[in-house]
Amino acid sequence: MAAHLSSGRVNLTALREAGRRELREFLDKCAGSKAIVWDEYLTGPFGLIAQYSLLKEHEVEKMFTLKAGRLPPADVKNIIFFVRPRLELMDIIAENVLSEDRVRSPLRDFHILFVPRRSLLCEQRLKDQGVLGSFIHREQYSLDLIPFDGDLLSMESESAFKECYLENDQTSLYHAAKGLMTLQALYGTIPQIFGKGDCARHVANMMIRMKREFPGGQNSIFPVFDTLLLLDRNVDLLSPLATQLTYEGLIDEIYGIQNTYVKLPPEKFLPKKQGEGGKDLPTEPKKLQLNSAEELYAEIRDKNFNAVGSVLSKKAKIISAAFEERHHAKTVGEIKQFVSQLPHMQAARSSLANHTSIAELIKDITTSEDFFDNLTVEQEFMSGIDTDKVNNYTEDCIAQKHPLIKILRLVCLQSVCNSGLKQKVLDHYKREILQTYGYEHILTLNNLEKAGLLKLQTSSRNNYPTIRKTMRLWMDDVNEQNPNDISYVYSGYAPLSVRLAQLLARPGWRSIEEVLKILPGPHFEERQQLPTGLQKKRQQGENRITLVFFLGGVTYAEIAALRFLSQMEDGGTEYVIATTKLINGTNWIKSLMEKLEPPPF
Amino acid sequence: MAPGALLLEAQREYEKESQKADEYLREIKDQNLLSEAVRQCIEAAGYEHEPETQKSLLRAASFGKCFLDKFPPESFVRTCRDLRVLNAIWDYQIGIPLTFAQYKQLTIEVLLDRLVLRRLYPLAIRICEYLRLSEFQGVSRILAHWACYKVQQKDKSDEEVAHAINQKLGDTPGISYSEIAARAYDCGRTELAIKLLEYEPRSGEQVPLLLKMKKSQLALNKAIESGDTDLVYTVVLHLKNELNRGTFFMTLQKQPVALSLYRQFCKHQELETLKDLYNQDDDHQELGNFHVHSSYSSEKRIEGRVAALQNAVDEYYKAKNEFAAKATEDQIKLLRMQRRLQDDLDKPYVDYSLHDTVYGLILDGNHKRAEHLYRDFRVPDKRFWWLKIGALAEREDWEEMEKFSKSKKSPIGYLPFVEICMKHHNRHEARKYAARVTPEQRVKAHILVGELDQAADAAIEHKNETEMNLVLSKCTAATDSSVAEKINRAKAQSLKK
Repeated sequence: MAAHLSSGRVNLTALREAGRRELREFLDKCAGSKAIVWDEYLTGPFGLIAQYSLLKEHEVEKMFTLKAGRLPPADVKNIIFFVRPRLELMDIIAENVLSEDRVRSPLRDFHILFVPRRSLLCEQRLKDQGVLGSFIHREQYSLDLIPFDGDLLSMESESAFKECYLENDQTSLYHAAKGLMTLQALYGTIPQIFGKGDCARHVANMMIRMKREFPGGQNSIFPVFDTLLLLDRNVDLLSPLATQLTYEGLIDEIYGIQNTYVKLPPEKFLPKKQGEGGKDLPTEPKKLQLNSAEELYAEIRDKNFNAVGSVLSKKAKIISAAFEERHHAKTVGEIKQFVSQLPHMQAARSSLANHTSIAELIKDITTSEDFFDNLTVEQEFMSGIDTDKVNNYTEDCIAQKHPLIKILRLVCLQSVCNSGLKQKVLDHYKREILQTYGYEHILTLNNLEKAGLLKLQTSSRNNYPTIRKTMRLWMDDVNEQNPNDISYVYSGYAPLSVRLAQLLARPGWRSIEEVLKILPGPHFEERQQLPTGLQKKRQQGENRITLVFFLGGVTYAEIAALRFLSQMEDGGTEYVIATTKLINGTNWIKSLMEKLEPPPF
Repeated sequence: MAPGALLLEAQREYEKESQKADEYLREIKDQNLLSEAVRQCIEAAGYEHEPETQKSLLRAASFGKCFLDKFPPESFVRTCRDLRVLNAIWDYQIGIPLTFAQYKQLTIEVLLDRLVLRRLYPLAIRICEYLRLSEFQGVSRILAHWACYKVQQKDKSDEEVAHAINQKLGDTPGISYSEIAARAYDCGRTELAIKLLEYEPRSGEQVPLLLKMKKSQLALNKAIESGDTDLVYTVVLHLKNELNRGTFFMTLQKQPVALSLYRQFCKHQELETLKDLYNQDDDHQELGNFHVHSSYSSEKRIEGRVAALQNAVDEYYKAKNEFAAKATEDQIKLLRMQRRLQDDLDKPYVDYSLHDTVYGLILDGNHKRAEHLYRDFRVPDKRFWWLKIGALAEREDWEEMEKFSKSKKSPIGYLPFVEICMKHHNRHEARKYAARVTPEQRVKAHILVGELDQAADAAIEHKNETEMNLVLSKCTAATDSSVAEKINRAKAQSLKK
């Protein structure tokens, strides 16, 4: 069921198993029948660790969503709250518990499970509300890094970027460091740590400190990872702003992937045979899980979208040829063999049908004029054309009131590609936005400025061209079908973050000292001593394994670029990716927006 | 004679190099009692108090074992070890006359506790080491006890004690310096406790005790060092109750990490405090933002909201953020106008953006007022034109649109007119504007209104291959074959040249 987690070089099933074990142990502490009250945000990430069946095996009979007021009736012995440690949630829990006592229902035991960490602050709040004593078990469930795929871990911490870079609240970095400690407990101490950025430095410091806090626990596991690379998102603000052009990236840009699931418009997924019968159109969106457990998806997810069509048609031919085989099957043995392959073939056929439908949906959008115009402007900015003046297309989009987030992405992209905008240009954009979309967005604009996404050009020098040239961020001759460089993921732009990883592996960061100095935050290297006997002796031709941790989020296109590097024949390094959150430009900008709503009259 | 006794004799004879040894041994072996004999010797040794006697019994057992094939060694080894422990505590300086059976009954843990209670730490540690007890159960525990005792020695200075403890304990796993520190604090030695806490690597353990000792500032430092924000919050809220407001703010001032966390806390829990914090920092930008916030969230009446915005304007000016100040002034002006519009026209206008307000006015045919707003707020021409034709098209006021298009030269060209007409399915109107677009946009305009023939002509006239292909791609075989043919001919011709 979680086979895709063990498909990579590092078997991440062990991490999932550890998570499941911890969960089971907690559930068994609360003997008897149970109901779980969920902090709604947690259900998605939890689904990747344990399905309902596991909970059921441990006598979980009911599940509710945490909300104010009285708890729904349930004939169970235990009520367990699964929550993030947030004060507003504590108030709701207190309300639940207090209103419970008034009803003369059979006495139920209360427990609370903090995810990922117990919090003194929250317990104090429960105490102030007079309910702390009502809880028999108050524990924590350290769900920090959740395995998403064979090479992908995410904390799914929605607001990590905003907290770190806007509010100077480093809670999520603490969790990240804890998550890395858990990872090291399972996969061995990572001997080398590299990093770039203030947050990266902070995480590395905490890791080193935490290691000291566990004396005696000398890790005796043979290290799986050779290197950890910690990268601040604000070192590369550009990549998430640009439109991702890989298959998976586009699915995320257009429909949004959440905890590996995507919801799609149902029209394209009608069963072919009865489609005509005048049946009611399904109104429920089609929900699909996307991960490398699906053979076809694993093959096409990281390709440039323009290269997906040919793979799909090739697959279609192979599959129909395979089904044709049945006519050639003559002997009983041959028929038997054919039948035994049938389930696999049918799965392949339905997978192909799904992805053909998705590709059609995406194609409708990517072939639209507006998508093309938008992309053209993005690419002009990234290759350094006319970044210093007001852009016509952006202006026209504002005048036609295109979605605000699209505008913000474009303006921020221009600002980043120009190391900030001139006062006149910046003010013009801001004024246009406020007049068109409303004054209430003034705080959003301020947030973008604080995060450095939108800024005033202070020095007269624009650094971006230097960075672009040294790091070869713009490639004119990009090959989308058979790529030879990571720039294929954005059809020309090579993500800066991934270039940093690539150059670290070969020839090393010393070659780009100058650029590293321009990029924000310190860069550093730390070594963690391994006990003798655990030092790796590498076999000839065996690849190194690097864990790249993006603090503040990573896009699917960047992941695709790293996977491309892993697969390069002479690459020498394979990558596992970890992040605080899987992001795209839209949900990233959204997380930075200030929601001011006018009071109702 | 018991086989054990006989074995003892045999061993004695053996040492005397007498052949009787062999005789005795045979006697035991013949009865198949050798292992029983060994067992008896080992057991007997346990009941003896004289080391010499113990030794000779054990030697006999050892001797007997030589003639046995598979005698399990554990009992012998265990007895040797236990006897050594017992001999040690039987020593007159220690004086614990436990019998072997008593000792077994008590268990080693209890014995160690008794030694600890008698402060016989070195002996206890030696025993642990000798018996190879795990550090956690053994040495660490005893060292911790020792340290807890040590802190009560009032005759030594804090430095001396702390140093002595650290010298002995070092980084021994399982040692909790915070426990020792807590003991020191209980004995009234706060300074010593603080010194000891310095050796505690786990901040989570340091902080609560430091708070208990009212060393909140230090606790704050430690909490920040740990990176655990929850710990920082705990200390900050503790400080808040402990200190007066001024001192509290001053303390935060020195700790940016704590300050930002507290700000976050206030944002959700105590808005007024947040304002005070910004005030103290003279952070006018944030104060401005704060007022904007409250204009939306805490004020309901227009006057109240305007007043809040006015405060924001003042702060933005102080922050030298001219843009924000001007934008806010504009918003005040807009709110007032919207209120007037609302009263005059009996329609909701308040809180629409400027764009939407003007759009709404045009939609209702209030062109004059719309025009007024457009001038008053210096909306760029281009944007106003986009906006106006959009609204007019939605209103299907084609006449007004045509009039507007002729009012002066369009700053956005005429292609948007074509597009917007087609969007509202008015091909007739669209054609009018298609004729007026610039030559570069002509092909696109003709395609939009469905005049492929003219589009083809324009493309051929431009000798533009891309445009020709574009037209070609729109041609369907059934209806537009003549157009397609025309283009293909032109393309072929241009190829020849």
